[in-house]
Amino acid sequence: MRTRFSRGFAAATLACSVALFPLVASASDNKIVLVPGGPHPYFAPWEQAAADAQKDFSIASVEYKVPSEWKLEMQTELLESLAAQGTNAFGIFPGDAVGINSTIGEFKANNIPAVALGGCAQDPTDMNFCMATDVYQSAYIGTKALIEAMGGKGAVVHMAGLLIDPNTVLRVQAVEKAVAETNGAVTLLQTIGDTDSQEAGDQKVNALLASSKDKVGGIIATGYVSSVVTATALKNLGDKRIKMIGIDDDKIVLDGIKDGFVSGTMAQNPYGQGYIGAYALDLIAGGCTLKADAPWVKTPQTAHFIDSGTLLISSANAETYKDDLKALTKKIQGSFKDTYLTCS
Amino acid sequence: MAAGLLMRGSTQFGLFVILFIMWVVFSSLAPGFLSRFNLNSVGRSVAIDIVVGFAQMVVLATGGMNLSVGAIGVCSVMTLGYFLQMWGLPIPVAILLTLGLGGVLGWLNGFAITRTGVNSFVVTLATASLFTGAMLIFSKGVPLNGLPPELGAFAKSSVGRVPTLAIVAIGIGIALYVLFKHSVLGRQILAAGANPRAAEMSGVPVDRVIVFVHVLSGVLAAAAAIMLTAKNGAALPGAAGDDWLLPSFLAPVIGGTSLAGGLISVVGTIFGALLVSTIRSGLLVLQIGNFWLQLFLGIFLLGAILLERYRSALAVRAQTRAA
Repeated sequence: MRTRFSRGFAAATLACSVALFPLVASASDNKIVLVPGGPHPYFAPWEQAAADAQKDFSIASVEYKVPSEWKLEMQTELLESLAAQGTNAFGIFPGDAVGINSTIGEFKANNIPAVALGGCAQDPTDMNFCMATDVYQSAYIGTKALIEAMGGKGAVVHMAGLLIDPNTVLRVQAVEKAVAETNGAVTLLQTIGDTDSQEAGDQKVNALLASSKDKVGGIIATGYVSSVVTATALKNLGDKRIKMIGIDDDKIVLDGIKDGFVSGTMAQNPYGQGYIGAYALDLIAGGCTLKADAPWVKTPQTAHFIDSGTLLISSANAETYKDDLKALTKKIQGSFKDTYLTCS
Repeated sequence: MAAGLLMRGSTQFGLFVILFIMWVVFSSLAPGFLSRFNLNSVGRSVAIDIVVGFAQMVVLATGGMNLSVGAIGVCSVMTLGYFLQMWGLPIPVAILLTLGLGGVLGWLNGFAITRTGVNSFVVTLATASLFTGAMLIFSKGVPLNGLPPELGAFAKSSVGRVPTLAIVAIGIGIALYVLFKHSVLGRQILAAGANPRAAEMSGVPVDRVIVFVHVLSGVLAAAAAIMLTAKNGAALPGAAGDDWLLPSFLAPVIGGTSLAGGLISVVGTIFGALLVSTIRSGLLVLQIGNFWLQLFLGIFLLGAILLERYRSALAVRAQTRAA
């Protein structure tokens, strides 16, 4: 009886081991961490992306860690402490495009690869590549959509992000280009900077509407918070005459599209950035190297840019855009290894 | 026995004991805490925090405060970057000119305070905004990343296991110790801080002393800015600024410098900065949830300060009994 029990127990253990093996075994021993510049709702999908990448690619560990404040010093301290504890690959939204490079240089010297996700580091950098939204293209497409919603004429106001953010410069240039292409039919009334924080953004958009709402035909908001505060202000004003194109898919902005106060918003792909970034880091930490002749996009910040994709959300696709972004993510990930890496 | 240990020695000794306990606890809970990588990064950060603390400490000595330490810092960061990248000046010349700029901005603070009689809190609050605004106008918020690589290499270098930046901070500390302990000017600063009227009646040129400490504070803020620029390998318009406000007060106050003036501690400021960095690094290495970090940092700091105050009170009581 005891022998039968022992054999049965051994067989059950073996069966369980075999059955559970795919769940517990890891294809790689890599410990990867995705680190944004600080707390910001834009990066929330990175948490799910990390969990999905760990499961789908059998990576030992993929975590999402957020610096307690949006300060370069806080981010580098977190990164260094994680490296000291054994993390061997990082996906990073640089707290500062230039300031992050010193830390990344030290990581490279210690054989710890890093990639920039969501925003780029400024060349020369030891980041392997940058996967982010092509902010120039996004702002350009968004402004074109706004001009179309305005009927091709009127005055535009640009609610821009931090003035010291290099992406703000690109967005300003893109908006100016789209406006210039109308040959004077549309004018740029004002570019209002530093609106990507709740208090400042709220005050500035309300001051604008209080002083010159009759002159404004449309508003393009190119920051997450800028979009939210502008959508809220237009709804509070109850004015559907002023058209607006925002960025990202905050619920307030999406509700604005449904209610008719917002014409559309430019979707970014933060989930895809985190998911593909973790996949790429696992391969690079495993010995793959970058292909020099890959179709890298050259931007003012880096010569190794990959567009993570963008699309316009309007009333036509407000319910289905997430499926479109998932399909885009799968498409980029499916061809990533062959397109950008050389793996022995 | 514990009470006996607590009662012995100075404030610095108490801080040293607390620091030692924390190092033992953190290194046994998280092996990565003592890794060369972590010690190097903590050493470099704490070196800058120490000099930022000194920049505030010298003004606290007179009972004033300098809320523009960070603003002078960011002006110095961008000026150093401009001298090196745009003008191509040799590194020593650029450093000297940057220290000079820090001194000039500090002099503006001191001059405005003594001439107007307005509290240093108000004056330096205004000049902080003025200096930062001027920096943004001139730099247009564009970082400079074409600095000579020797500057970054200096920040990364170390003597033995001690980062070179930490040695620079200790060197500045020794100079300040000599100033306050062994010079007439140092004693005049402390006298002006303890009781300005009595100092004035004793022949101490209080106004001139106040201007001097602000110049010194500006030079020290510029020194910290140069160290930060070397550490980052670039001149960043987002560096220093408001980020320096809290550390500038924490290090000297934890170290025993009186906010009311007349009492400073150079060694205490070094230990104070070390304590804050140790707690922050230890909690990070222990991977305490990032949103809990600030809470735990506050609890640890409050605990350390209360323990130190308790130890000081016990020591005073023991001395009174002995007398």
